[in-house]
Amino acid sequence: MRRIAVTGIGVVSPLGLSPQEVFEAARAGRSGIHRLDIPGAHRLAAPLAASVHFDGSEHFEPPQQRLLDRVSQFAVVAARRAFADAQCDLTDIERERTGVFLGTGMGGTLSMDDGYQTLYGQQSDRIKPMMILQGMHNAPAGWIAIEHQLRGPALTYSTACSSSGVAIGEAWLRLASGALDVAIAGGSEAPLSLGSLKAWEAMHTLASVDATDPATSCKPFSKNRSGMVLGEGAALVVLEPWERALARGATLYGEIIGYGLTTDAGHIARPSVQGQAAAIRSALASAGLSAQDVDSINAHGTGTQANDSVETSAIKLVFGTRANRVPISATKAVHGHLLGAAGALECVLSLLALQHNVALPTMHLQEPDPQCDLDYVANVARLGAAGQTMLSHSFAFGGTNAVLALRAAG
Amino acid sequence: MTTVDRIRTMLVQDYKLAPDSLTLDARLEDLGIDSLGMAELVFNIEDAFALSVPDTAVTLTTLGEVVGFIDDLIAARDSEVTAPEVLSLSAGQAP
Repeated sequence: MRRIAVTGIGVVSPLGLSPQEVFEAARAGRSGIHRLDIPGAHRLAAPLAASVHFDGSEHFEPPQQRLLDRVSQFAVVAARRAFADAQCDLTDIERERTGVFLGTGMGGTLSMDDGYQTLYGQQSDRIKPMMILQGMHNAPAGWIAIEHQLRGPALTYSTACSSSGVAIGEAWLRLASGALDVAIAGGSEAPLSLGSLKAWEAMHTLASVDATDPATSCKPFSKNRSGMVLGEGAALVVLEPWERALARGATLYGEIIGYGLTTDAGHIARPSVQGQAAAIRSALASAGLSAQDVDSINAHGTGTQANDSVETSAIKLVFGTRANRVPISATKAVHGHLLGAAGALECVLSLLALQHNVALPTMHLQEPDPQCDLDYVANVARLGAAGQTMLSHSFAFGGTNAVLALRAAG
Repeated sequence: MTTVDRIRTMLVQDYKLAPDSLTLDARLEDLGIDSLGMAELVFNIEDAFALSVPDTAVTLTTLGEVVGFIDDLIAARDSEVTAPEVLSLSAGQAP
């Protein structure tokens, strides 16, 4: 298996539009969560989201923009930035051995919502010809492949909240085995349509608006946590063999050293301690590591009662008495839950945290929960605490769990 | 504005086509309007001209043919004269 480096990062996120911006915001604990003000927001019990300041017309000409749902616009722009960052001029032959691995949980929700509004809301048959092409889950990956002329596999993974953790892991496997030479991998999600917001609300899993400061509404591992906050955006990384990256003098953000992939096969929504623990162990085995070797964790940490208790128990199961000495960062507190793009954004934050050797803070943790009694780096970033080896957890409805093992470049 | 001018305006604004490429004998294919582009263009023409383009397949190769087709539909609608090839049908309605 070849060593695989991350040589480029592109982000379009609630924390910013560059790796530096995103890292600084997470480190400072600046939340991208806000009160939502969209048409129909008055129908939401808790109008909250982490949204991106993004105007598609700044990035696309009208003929192309009309074909792209917001989810594809995010993905294409993030891909442009990732490739520009990586500066890996690909030859035609190399493009045949370059793949796109993209995770999305919900695809083109805004286009679909718009179409259903026409059909059912206006009782009109005037469905736009482009609706299918905009709404389909594989559009983001397809557009990235077209724009960069990539002729290797262009795959889309849809495993809910672990989609982009899976996408990065699957890309890593193909590169490590030599089946491909370069990959762009990550995720994109644009779920802030009224329809999908109401559907999420109906599950009673979303946070209530914090009375003092809406930006603090997502409180992972806190006793007074009330649920998750939806976010939108895209994060993509360029992966290539370590030796190739070194030889061409590429920036080395870090290394993917392992990938754990398991399925709970339990409940369609409720997380499983055993399932999560198995995924963590699977990542460790894949990296040839033991629990002792892990310096820090970027948790799934959604801010729901269920996930955070279960994840704490799973970490304890794997790490035993060492569990409370491993710093655990739950960055969803500040960027929200990007669903299919969550794993990728958190992988990016983990790599940057390793690069700077900073354990990112779990913000808004003012009331510790006796059931969640590990070290969550509460409220303040901790210099020197990331170490060399970090795990990034993504657990999901449907039970597909993905854990990435990452190592600092230095 | 004439039909050809209105269609030219749509193509320049929405499709970013160069105005001087939009001659009547310009082939749609050469303008980058493939079958998908045609579906979208027809949809927008229906909105812009308040027309209903029939589902029956008609082959339109040049900009001039598109203009002629639209003009025929407008004439048929305005005079309320129906002919089989320009009848505006809603689903299931017999001529």
